[in-house]
Amino acid sequence: MRRYETTYILRPNLGEEQFSEIIERTNNIIKNDGGAIINLERWGNRKLAYEINKEILGQYIYFDYAAPGSTILELERIFRIDDRVLRFLTVKIADAIDEETVASETERVAALAAAKLSGETEAEVEDSAKKDTDEEDSDEEDFGEEDFDDADDDDK
Amino acid sequence: MPPPRKRIFRPRVCRFCTEKDLVLDYKDAKTLRNLVTERGKIIPRRIYGTCAKHQRQVTEAIKRARHLALIPYTGQIPY
Repeated sequence: MRRYETTYILRPNLGEEQFSEIIERTNNIIKNDGGAIINLERWGNRKLAYEINKEILGQYIYFDYAAPGSTILELERIFRIDDRVLRFLTVKIADAIDEETVASETERVAALAAAKLSGETEAEVEDSAKKDTDEEDSDEEDFGEEDFDDADDDDK
Repeated sequence: MPPPRKRIFRPRVCRFCTEKDLVLDYKDAKTLRNLVTERGKIIPRRIYGTCAKHQRQVTEAIKRARHLALIPYTGQIPY
């Protein structure tokens, strides 16, 4: 058993029913192979940085799980067939994971999510208002484009 | 003789080595935005002063984030 995390992007306008159906299906693939889901996060509809298959929004789903390597083959095969899935990315986090770690990690994540939920309800309103102004400010710090071009010349 | 190039001093210490709590994660698009130029190119080591080990992690994270459309392959980062 290895520990992996997968993020996949679904078409945004499928509706809640199909979202849960796809999530359910992927989770079942893992469970049927003797794996276990540690964490599942839905990031909701997000703006894509570029268009994928004519879509500008995407429903992001992230999950963290323990599974044997052969599961990934099956999982990705199905992702490739399904054209409701725009993108997917699987990353291996750990080479080996035992059941104890799975249990403790699941607990830890659940506790984290619960704490976040209770804290977020108040903070969320302020946060979303603040976000717009914050992001404008992020600058390129102390190197401008000009310096950068200059440095390029050195190589030639 | 060409005139000597003006040398601009830059910090030569890897920021990921000095600040341990800066963790590179491909899911964290906000942090990664600081590691690419306005055009979306990965900022080279010689500009940023990151060590080889961390620069590899930066590159990997940016490439993953691009694949997931969290940051663009090219062009301005929207939002």
